[in-house]
Amino acid sequence: MTPWLRRQRALADYTLSALGRRKGKNISLVVIYALIVFLVASIMMFSSGMRREADLVLSEAPELIVQQLTLGRHELIAGGEVEKLAAIRGVTAAKGRLWGYYYDRLNGANYTVMVPDDPTIKLEQGQAILGEAIPRSRGLSWEGAPLFLSRFEGDLVKFDVVDTLSHDSALVSADLMLITEQDFRDFFGLAPDVYTDISVSIRNEREIATIIAKAEKVMPKARFVTRADISRTYQKLFDWREGLLVTLAIAAILAFGIFAAEKASGLSAEETREIGILKAIGWDTGDVIAMKLWEGALVSVGAFLTGAVAAYVHVFLGGAGLFAPVLKGWSVLYPDFALTPQIDVLQLTTLFLVTVLPYVAATLVPIWRVATGDPDQVMR
Amino acid sequence: MTPARRPTTPVFAALGLLVAGLGLAAIHVAVRAPGERARLAESTRLVKVLGLTDLALFTEARYTRHPSMADLHTAFQDNPMSFEHFPSGLFIAPPAHLPGGQIGQSEKDFPQ
Amino acid sequence: MIFQTPIMALLLVSGLAGLVALWSAWFGLRVLRRWNLADGSREQLEMERQTHLISTLFGFVMLAEALALLLFVYNADRMANLFVGAMCAVGTLNVNEYGFPALYLKVATFFAAAVWLIVDRADRAGRDYPLTRVKYAGIILLAPLILAGGAVELTYFAGLETDVITSCCSKLFTPANEGLSSEVTGLPPALALWLLGGSGLAVALSGAASLWWGRGQMLFAVSGVVLFFVALAAIISIISLYVYDHPNHHCPFCLLQPEHGYYGYVLYLPLFFGTALALGAGVLQVFVGRPSLRDILPARIRKLIGLSMVAFGLFGLATIWAIVSSQLIVFG
Repeated sequence: MTPWLRRQRALADYTLSALGRRKGKNISLVVIYALIVFLVASIMMFSSGMRREADLVLSEAPELIVQQLTLGRHELIAGGEVEKLAAIRGVTAAKGRLWGYYYDRLNGANYTVMVPDDPTIKLEQGQAILGEAIPRSRGLSWEGAPLFLSRFEGDLVKFDVVDTLSHDSALVSADLMLITEQDFRDFFGLAPDVYTDISVSIRNEREIATIIAKAEKVMPKARFVTRADISRTYQKLFDWREGLLVTLAIAAILAFGIFAAEKASGLSAEETREIGILKAIGWDTGDVIAMKLWEGALVSVGAFLTGAVAAYVHVFLGGAGLFAPVLKGWSVLYPDFALTPQIDVLQLTTLFLVTVLPYVAATLVPIWRVATGDPDQVMR
Repeated sequence: MTPARRPTTPVFAALGLLVAGLGLAAIHVAVRAPGERARLAESTRLVKVLGLTDLALFTEARYTRHPSMADLHTAFQDNPMSFEHFPSGLFIAPPAHLPGGQIGQSEKDFPQ
Repeated sequence: MIFQTPIMALLLVSGLAGLVALWSAWFGLRVLRRWNLADGSREQLEMERQTHLISTLFGFVMLAEALALLLFVYNADRMANLFVGAMCAVGTLNVNEYGFPALYLKVATFFAAAVWLIVDRADRAGRDYPLTRVKYAGIILLAPLILAGGAVELTYFAGLETDVITSCCSKLFTPANEGLSSEVTGLPPALALWLLGGSGLAVALSGAASLWWGRGQMLFAVSGVVLFFVALAAIISIISLYVYDHPNHHCPFCLLQPEHGYYGYVLYLPLFFGTALALGAGVLQVFVGRPSLRDILPARIRKLIGLSMVAFGLFGLATIWAIVSSQLIVFG
């Protein structure tokens, strides 16, 4: 070992035995610190996990959705508009989408009812494909149990459940109910030639802006939502809430910083005496500062690592148990899914800066004040 | 002083273990990746086939179920000045593409 | 947009750095006027004590600034998908006019802070703190830089609007446009490689001379700085092409993305560290004649130069590896 390393090791040894003499206090400090790191780290890991999930999954969302607006609200769109949109150069296809909500009075849940427009999904009249959460919440536990829906008192419509969407896609499909177009129009009493909105496929993503400009001339009252808009909505949604929660956590960090500063400056008589003796036997200010920095480093690195590892376990192995109630909110149906585990250097660096820097800032000045005192003054 | 008595030994070992824990987490990420990719691929396929636009995270109201398709009044849709009343509002910001609104606009804010 | 955790972390660093810089500069003014080691007065004693604090504080702040520089670039890269038209960090930085100035100020702060820390360590090694005045003059010069960096960064982040259409790197780094970035992009690849080789050779020769014969340290520092700029130009002009395996993609920021194996970090980290150490060696060389440092400094400078050469060597290896392992054939 080089002399430098040996000196550092000896300083760390000394620091630790000094910390050990006040075990209870110091352990509680590390535990509180680790809890704060855990909280911030959980928030960050959870939101970035959600962000990534949304980003990947919605990368295949329709390039463009066209909505009709009436009174500032989403309205049904006439079937004639589909051809107008399809006629624009650069548009590969325009399809009317049929989807809506159904409030199930039996379990108080909202379903998203949708008509699939894809040859791979085979449905016949009276049949339905359900998302993973609907059978769970309605207690349709056995294979082939039909789903009865009631739109009003005395009404009962029966759907044969032919399939359940795989659990793997729960994040996007938990509350989906897929039925045929005829069933959809009958069930909701919809006129034959109207749609909920129109999805437009566009060959070249660079042309989206031009196509919207053209479409706006044809449909001046419509609203256009692009795939990038959708993706950005979700990125911002989780960014924003993460930021908000972290800001709240910063209040906790601040309080902790004040606590740490208080602890570092209001030394007990015993500690003051200790430093006085050290200086009397020949330690210089630099040595005392180095010793105290070791103390800070051990405390913060220990707390940081503990908090970060615990947060990883919490979010990715424990299913983010603390956040689950928030996520479920007031909804009856919620997707049952585990986040894709990930670790990212940006995140850990941010976490380090957000949690360790305030601690360092709060304790440096008190440390210096203690270290530079005269031995006789400190001892007195 | 015998080396075993040095207090840094157990503490550095514990810190080392924690670093190893982070390393294990990284390995866990790598091990789980193929399965997760399959799961995400299934979701992505469904999104493409059905033309889905939103995550089924909050199903209690239409502006939380489909935030990207929400009306222009969302999330204050019942009344321009009303506050959010669903807990998931804590997680949902107004959609990115909506113009930023202002509370307490006065007449002079609107060009005549 | 300030409500993003990385942004809050960056602003926290800038805020703390700004506070420390202001306070140290205030103290620096006092040192410049009153510092006198021979004086045994109470005030002198207080000042000597405070120098300990300033050194420690500044050391921490500068470490945090170095981390923040990395985080700034990484975060710009990650946020690119929030902006229409952005593909990498260039788009994010271009969202408003403060993005690139913020980056440049951060880079400048990094180098200035590295040099300051090197001088500080040398000063504390000398028994009579021979460089104290120099150090505090340095802080007074550094403080505006740090404050300006923080202010520009804050303005940049406060002005980030997601609905602004920004430009992609392919528009900035093309020979067809006007401006410095295009000039550099248009630099002929062969010339860029010759220049890079030439300045690399200058660094190697002057470094060897200062290690073996103890002379040429200044030349080493100067060629290190020259190498830094030439290397940046060469990365834009030719090395990036090899990394991307693409004859027209010149962006120096896309290199940092996971798709390219984070190759940018392999290139930039050694380059920045090598340059910072070379600069520090050059600055120390100025003070080599001070009586109390005469015995310590030459060894320190040798060490700095040695480390710097290792870092530049790593950069060279990374460059050669990029060229050798690439599928792209530019010459031939």
